[in-house]
Amino acid sequence: MKRYLLAFGALLIAGFCFSQIKPNEKLTYAASYNMSGLMTQLAQVTMQTETVNTSKKSFLHLSLEATTFSKWDKFFKIRDLYEAYVDPLTLKSSLYKRNINEGGYIKNEKYIFEPDGKSINSTTKHKDGSETKKSFRIGSSTQDAVAIVYRLRTIDFSTFKPGQTTSFVMVFDEKEYPILVKYMGLENVPAGNLGKKQCYKISISAKTDKLKGIDKNLIWLTADSKKIPALVRFSIAVGTGQLALTNASEN
Amino acid sequence: MRKFLIIVSLFFVVLGIVFTALPLGTIAFLPVGLAIVTAALLIFISKPEQRKFPKWILLAGLLTLLSIMGKVVFIQDKIETDKQFEQQKIDSKKQDVKDLEGL
Repeated sequence: MKRYLLAFGALLIAGFCFSQIKPNEKLTYAASYNMSGLMTQLAQVTMQTETVNTSKKSFLHLSLEATTFSKWDKFFKIRDLYEAYVDPLTLKSSLYKRNINEGGYIKNEKYIFEPDGKSINSTTKHKDGSETKKSFRIGSSTQDAVAIVYRLRTIDFSTFKPGQTTSFVMVFDEKEYPILVKYMGLENVPAGNLGKKQCYKISISAKTDKLKGIDKNLIWLTADSKKIPALVRFSIAVGTGQLALTNASEN
Repeated sequence: MRKFLIIVSLFFVVLGIVFTALPLGTIAFLPVGLAIVTAALLIFISKPEQRKFPKWILLAGLLTLLSIMGKVVFIQDKIETDKQFEQQKIDSKKQDVKDLEGL
């Protein structure tokens, strides 16, 4: 009886933390950057999910890819790939990778989260082929940047009041950053092939110089069970821009 | 003042044409917009017999503006298949599975 109760309890907890993130989801965005006051489309950003199985476990592979449109490749070629392998239920990170290639600037990072979730073994590959390995401790709830984006989609914002906040801890550049998520209300925004959708307007802030301004980093999640990011506006050290959803599909 | 405006409007119209020819997207609106404004101003301050040249600049600006709009509306942004990047992703995934097996 005790065992059944425990199993029921575990299922209930999993239900609460249960991610709405399903495998084989593909979200495509047009990324624009503010150049001299004009929003200029520069790149395509794709967010994809898929199941990856190992002999012991099943993982949800989350990937975020940024590729410049071919007309920009000659001027400033971007091939960025952010990936995370997470637990399909809890979205707890196991492996995180960041491969950046921005106009010749290359950075390859890999974080392997120890199974206890309290430390990370990181490997940074340099342009000359050399590697730097490091091990550092993290909080048990700390997650990588990609998992945080998807984790945001599991929050039930329908119970939030405008101005209400929640927080996460993100690991980035081998440092932990507290991320503050503020619900700002409902707004209708265009969502690509989904048409105009009512969305939760969310403000993201962090105590880092990477994100600029107050309520300048915004994300609009569709106000339905999928909570698809329909629009993202960002203000970072090198300027401002936006990601507008062009296509959302599930296979 | 008139000479200065002629130089400025000519500069912006040439810059606009160059930006339109290059794949710079909506950025080309900026010099062309300035060329149209300065050409219009030039027409306004010029005597009727001096308005022929500013009118040509204005026409060039408007035609460039039309071609930018045409490019923005009709030419779709494309992503080129990057074989090297695709291969890199395949190799990387194989390594990821190996790393995950060790966890």
